Amino acid sequence: MNDFSEVEAELKGLRPAPVSPELWARIERGFALRDVATAGLLSPRRRRIAAWWTLGLSLAAACVAIMAGLAFFSPSPDSATSVAQNKATSSGATSGRGLQPSALTRVVYRRRDEGLVFSPNQSEQLLRRVRYETRETMQWRNPQTGASLRVSYPAEQVVLTPVSFQ
Amino acid sequence: MEKTHDDEDWKTCFAQLGPALLLFARRWTNCRADAEDIVQEAFVRFWRREHSISNRALLYAAVRSAALDRLRSEQRRHRREAAAAQDGAEQVEPQFTGLDGGQQMLAAAVERLPNEQREVVLLKIWNELTFAEIAAVLEISQNTAASRYRYALGALRRILQPHHE
Repeated sequence: MNDFSEVEAELKGLRPAPVSPELWARIERGFALRDVATAGLLSPRRRRIAAWWTLGLSLAAACVAIMAGLAFFSPSPDSATSVAQNKATSSGATSGRGLQPSALTRVVYRRRDEGLVFSPNQSEQLLRRVRYETRETMQWRNPQTGASLRVSYPAEQVVLTPVSFQ
Repeated sequence: MEKTHDDEDWKTCFAQLGPALLLFARRWTNCRADAEDIVQEAFVRFWRREHSISNRALLYAAVRSAALDRLRSEQRRHRREAAAAQDGAEQVEPQFTGLDGGQQMLAAAVERLPNEQREVVLLKIWNELTFAEIAAVLEISQNTAASRYRYALGALRRILQPHHE
């Protein structure tokens, strides 16, 4: 390369055009964008580790959900009925598999007139307060299998009736 | 606070290498704005991937990759063709500053070098890469890089000799 030392020296005497202020601004903007996007977040290495953890946990959660789903929606009629009963008992809803609401009964076994009371909102207004103690029974039935579910529970109802004197 | 220092290091790095990176990017385009786009994209991408600042061969490879991506872009090609058709002739923007008469001739001679030789000269003279690094950037052998460099300097010397005599 010694033969070319003079040419090399001449070439090194040429100064490349400087970077424009616009390019500087764009580079700094690029830095700033990354700072904003990753502020308080993880480095790429940590992000990769976190991604693996997330993937593992997601897969585990998916497996649990699938297994629970298989157990919950087993094709056995007995277990289906059992599940439906459990759901209906816990929520009082009619979401059991194949079960449809068939009856609702309310039996009043005690009525007690508690007399006149003043309205809690309007002190001038008189109300008659009557307390009903009841037992309500809800029933679901599966028309295909004949399975039925009945839920019975005590309830109390208070009725306030405005009273006017003429 | 540490992050700030890192960014300052990167800014210092860009301040030192920016002009040479720009010169290298001009190997693929005569338009300074396009070259700036290439450098900006490559440098920020390189920084985001948290490569080592000292890995300059990889930085230049990133510039080359960004430039080739840009060349492959159909949109850019159509735009260049339309611009060339409109202008009638390609306008070459200066790549060097503060040139005297002899230097202007030398700069013009550099620009007339075949691309494969010119890129080796750019990387060797103004970016101060070793032949091993140049070989890595251009995906050629070290011998090829060295021989292209010799051919280029030989051609430049032939151009300069009558001028000096």
